[in-house]
Amino acid sequence: MGQTQSDQPTLLTGAQAIMQSLVEQGVTTIFGYPGGAIMPTYDALYDYQDQLHHILVRHEQGAGHAAQGYARMLNKAGVCMVTSGPGATNLITPIADAMLDSTPLVCIVGQVRGNLLGTDAFQECDVIGMSMPVTKWNYQVVDANEIPEIMAKAFYIAETGRPGPVLIDITRTAQSDKMTIPFEYKPIKSLVSYKPRIEPKAEHVEAAAKLINAAKKPYILAGHGVLISGAEQELNDFVDKTGIPVATTLLGMSAMDADHPLYVGWPGMHGNYGANVLTNSCDVLIAIGMRFDDRITGDLASYAKQAKVVHIEIDPSEVDKNVKADAPVIGDAKSALKALLPLVNKNEHTEWRNEFKKYDAEEYEKIDKKDIFHDGDKIKMGEAVHMLSNKTKGEAVVVTDVGQHQMVTNRYYRFKKRNSIVTSGGAGTMGFALPAAFGAKVALPEREVIAIIGDGGFQMTLQELGTIAQSGLPVKIIILNNNFLGMVRQWQELFHSRRYSFVELQNPDFITIAKGFGIDGHKVEDRAELSASLDTLLNSKTPYLLEIVCEKEGNVFPMVPAGGSVTNVRLE
Amino acid sequence: MLTTYTISVFTTNTVGLLNRITIIFTRRRLNIECLTVSETERKGVSRFTIVIRNENREFVEKLVRQIRKITDVLAVFGYLDDEIVFNEIALFKIATPLHGESIDVKTINLDWNAKVVHWGLEYVVVEKNGTEDEIHEFYTYLKKWEILEYIKSGRVAVGKTEKGLVAYLPEEGNWEIV
Repeated sequence: MGQTQSDQPTLLTGAQAIMQSLVEQGVTTIFGYPGGAIMPTYDALYDYQDQLHHILVRHEQGAGHAAQGYARMLNKAGVCMVTSGPGATNLITPIADAMLDSTPLVCIVGQVRGNLLGTDAFQECDVIGMSMPVTKWNYQVVDANEIPEIMAKAFYIAETGRPGPVLIDITRTAQSDKMTIPFEYKPIKSLVSYKPRIEPKAEHVEAAAKLINAAKKPYILAGHGVLISGAEQELNDFVDKTGIPVATTLLGMSAMDADHPLYVGWPGMHGNYGANVLTNSCDVLIAIGMRFDDRITGDLASYAKQAKVVHIEIDPSEVDKNVKADAPVIGDAKSALKALLPLVNKNEHTEWRNEFKKYDAEEYEKIDKKDIFHDGDKIKMGEAVHMLSNKTKGEAVVVTDVGQHQMVTNRYYRFKKRNSIVTSGGAGTMGFALPAAFGAKVALPEREVIAIIGDGGFQMTLQELGTIAQSGLPVKIIILNNNFLGMVRQWQELFHSRRYSFVELQNPDFITIAKGFGIDGHKVEDRAELSASLDTLLNSKTPYLLEIVCEKEGNVFPMVPAGGSVTNVRLE
Repeated sequence: MLTTYTISVFTTNTVGLLNRITIIFTRRRLNIECLTVSETERKGVSRFTIVIRNENREFVEKLVRQIRKITDVLAVFGYLDDEIVFNEIALFKIATPLHGESIDVKTINLDWNAKVVHWGLEYVVVEKNGTEDEIHEFYTYLKKWEILEYIKSGRVAVGKTEKGLVAYLPEEGNWEIV
């Protein structure tokens, strides 16, 4: 008997194939914004609403940052979907941000019809060319049949090795055309031209262990790689056994309990005094999943020259890029620490650990005390974050924007729970926090997510209040408002003779704006009311905006001036 | 001192890859002296030969690692001139007007190891294979005639090793010979 018509597998359109691929990949959430060139896919999405939760943002940049916040919480790719032309170009900033901060994204971008490619058609732009320098991989799909394989490849590349953003540009015709072959989604497990090393080589690990065991003053810098590979426990075990003091980078923050006796803070431009200065006293510097960014090293010619360097890093191109490694260990932080643990000796470095304490004491006297326990009537950013940290017991997810408030937050928020910081590090993207906090809350609704934002950055993406209001998710938003682009103002004060060139803002009434979006909030100026205000924020069951009016010309210290040596730390 | 480095990049045959590779040079403000893209003896494998001049070996090593990082790149090698056999090809279009000085085919053939590949009515096209220096010397010789056009290809190079390309490609690939 011949096959009847109904036995034939139904052929999907390209758009349906995109949806089916997402479902089979295990994606549940899409941050997106529709438009002409992606309409066939949005039409297919209409039938997939039960399986794919689509969140309509207010601007494509918001989709990208929200997907970043989501990805950072779950360590899997955040998915965003936008249209061609301006839809795609609006996504470039989050993609660049994700590239620098190793955040997995899969960006599905509509493109004009295949026959219009290269003709300057309506809303056409060369998104492949534009995104090439800021994506880990990108690809233009012109044939619906390619979709399942390309989607699988996209997720594999975005999420493995050193994670990063991937962009797939799909012509409208590839979305609307029917596939000519049955749909089959096969997750990709390896690619011939892309082989990230996860397990380190034994000889690398042995060489590293040898250096570590011989060290008198070893010092660990733990970076984002610890969070990405989920190596917090391994780091703890390693540190407990070896007794080595640990600093975390800005993105590695929360890799370790801030109250762990061996935790010494963070290095870098506005990092802790001892954490910076003692970089140039240690004899073995153990860098784990970090890339010696210039904001950490300052002047490379005078950075840790006395130290032997162990560099645990998944991306071979980062090794020897800025700081020469004596013992490179190529692999992910988790596997490398696991492999190292049995080879390192049990040790205590009490005296060396105490050296940090001397610097801590001076920093506390000269900076912390003045920030937290001052006599002024204006609220200082430091005391607000310090109080928030105490009230939340250091257990919230903290999402920051970029600038003074970002540095202050990392100084004063005492992270107690793993993977609790989301911040724009490498790119320093103002406007990041509001959508990223929303994305983090979507990923982990059970956790308290608090966005801390400056008045400048807030106004770059504030339209996402609409997205937050529509979702109803209780994202907590704090604006630390000093009516200035504070970090630039600080530099102008310190390095440009107080010539305040375009840094003062005439701000709107933020609370009225929030209320216009249907989000409750209030403004606090009086120090005496700060505590109660934070309680109101934290107790809110709905999204809430707290505007904290801060001292106008507060500065963030310590500070290693740009390009300076890590031993040259300004405390005031 | 400026040293010449030849960078051989082996890739899967992917649209747009040339752009991705050159971005790495552009970002570092590094001028590409010449570039040749060609197929190889293995199906689906392309080969980019890029010549740069730089004073700093470490810089070139970092560059090689950055290229290796590109998802569709299979292997990258940075060579010094003594580690490779390399050549370029040049074409010269020389004016040979009716009453002008005729070209010396014998000298071109025997002394310069070049050949006339096309005879036009009032011009000839001469082909010369050789290193950049050899081609340059030949150019100087030809200057006594009017050079209407001169073009030179990028470098092609193979490593001085008994190993073939496939020895450097990931093992699990199906590197079928073309």
